[in-house]
Amino acid sequence: MQKPIATTRSATGIPTGRLAIWWVLASEVVIFGGLLASYLMFRLGHPEWANAAAVTNTYIGAFNTFVLLSSSFSAVLAHQAAENGDGKLAAKYLWITIAGAVVFLLVKSYEWWYEISHGYTITANGFWSFYYTAAGLHAAHVIAGAIIMGFIAVDAAKGKELQRVELIGIYWHFVDVVWIFLFPLLYIAK
Amino acid sequence: MSEHNEHKGEHHDAHHVNYKKIYFVLLGLLVVSIIGPEFGIVWVTLVTAFGVALIKANLVVQNFMHLRWEKRIMKWMLSTSVVLMFLLFAGVAPDVMKHEGTRWVNDAALAATARGIEAPHHEGDEAAAEEHAEEPAGSEEAMVAEADDQAFDAKGAFTTVCATCHGPAGAGDGPGAAALNPKPANFALASFWEGKTDAELIKAIREGGAAVGLSPLMPAWGGLYDEAKAKALVDYIKTFRK
Repeated sequence: MQKPIATTRSATGIPTGRLAIWWVLASEVVIFGGLLASYLMFRLGHPEWANAAAVTNTYIGAFNTFVLLSSSFSAVLAHQAAENGDGKLAAKYLWITIAGAVVFLLVKSYEWWYEISHGYTITANGFWSFYYTAAGLHAAHVIAGAIIMGFIAVDAAKGKELQRVELIGIYWHFVDVVWIFLFPLLYIAK
Repeated sequence: MSEHNEHKGEHHDAHHVNYKKIYFVLLGLLVVSIIGPEFGIVWVTLVTAFGVALIKANLVVQNFMHLRWEKRIMKWMLSTSVVLMFLLFAGVAPDVMKHEGTRWVNDAALAATARGIEAPHHEGDEAAAEEHAEEPAGSEEAMVAEADDQAFDAKGAFTTVCATCHGPAGAGDGPGAAALNPKPANFALASFWEGKTDAELIKAIREGGAAVGLSPLMPAWGGLYDEAKAKALVDYIKTFRK
């Protein structure tokens, strides 16, 4: 397949793929930022939300933070391997990152199952609406990232399109950063 | 691959980041943010939660995402998004966070706050929390069920809801009163009670001041108090009469 000319041309001096991924993230900042800013103003304006926030499990949240930080570490190691031209090693690290995403989602599923079965559903009150919307949007990003990473890992193992390893990594770290803020907002601040 | 190599000399040779070290620093910070709340001091929790989150995010963005080696235009682009986020907050937060002001009261927000505060989950009351773990905190069904199996606490309801404007002793001098015109009713005045019937007061509580020809700034609380509860509140405010 012939590559579109835009992928090999750069007006800014930044490789086009990387410029694109940063644009995606700039818009993601507005999406998640808007959501978290709204959450924050409601949380500050409604002291009673503390009652609901007290229910979330800090240790589960902390464990998932650990999982995402570790997967970011493996993603950056994949990038390093790709820079050194070692596609096989890069692919290996990408699969480790995907495993991290799977663990994260399994823990999240258990957590949600527990909360929903105890009646804390998305319609219970304002706090839970934000909780499921924010964590759900984040989980959707984890799922999408893991799927795309799988395609990139398959290519990377054959030594193809190694620059994409960095691009999916940048996206993955962003997903990690969003969680870094969700963790204190939803779990620590009781 | 080719596009990557072209820029290799420009950016990537400069990265001598010790990723492992950064990863361990991140884990250390995670531990700090978990230990922070254990002290039970509010400012320590806030610093260890949000201060540490900012440091962690910065470490990831600068070192893992390599933003610090990126061209300046990229930093401007991302900063613009962050500024937009703060702009949204500054523009919307006053509406959401303030529940009353000069000549207006956000009835829904006040009612939601009152509902939530009466919710079964009180801090330090773990037995009660356990007992009610089956019910969603603050949901209306839970509140109704909760209220039904206990005697209605008119004094408590007055203190959390009514006293905001009517004052703790019903003298119409609550913190919300300053912004209201006409002023909230003063239940201590004998003149207030002249010609008032229970039915009229119950209607005022449940349907709002406007329903009985009084101040429209008195919200309708029918969602919180049924006929019997409103009657209990009326009986309670009678105790303020001097």
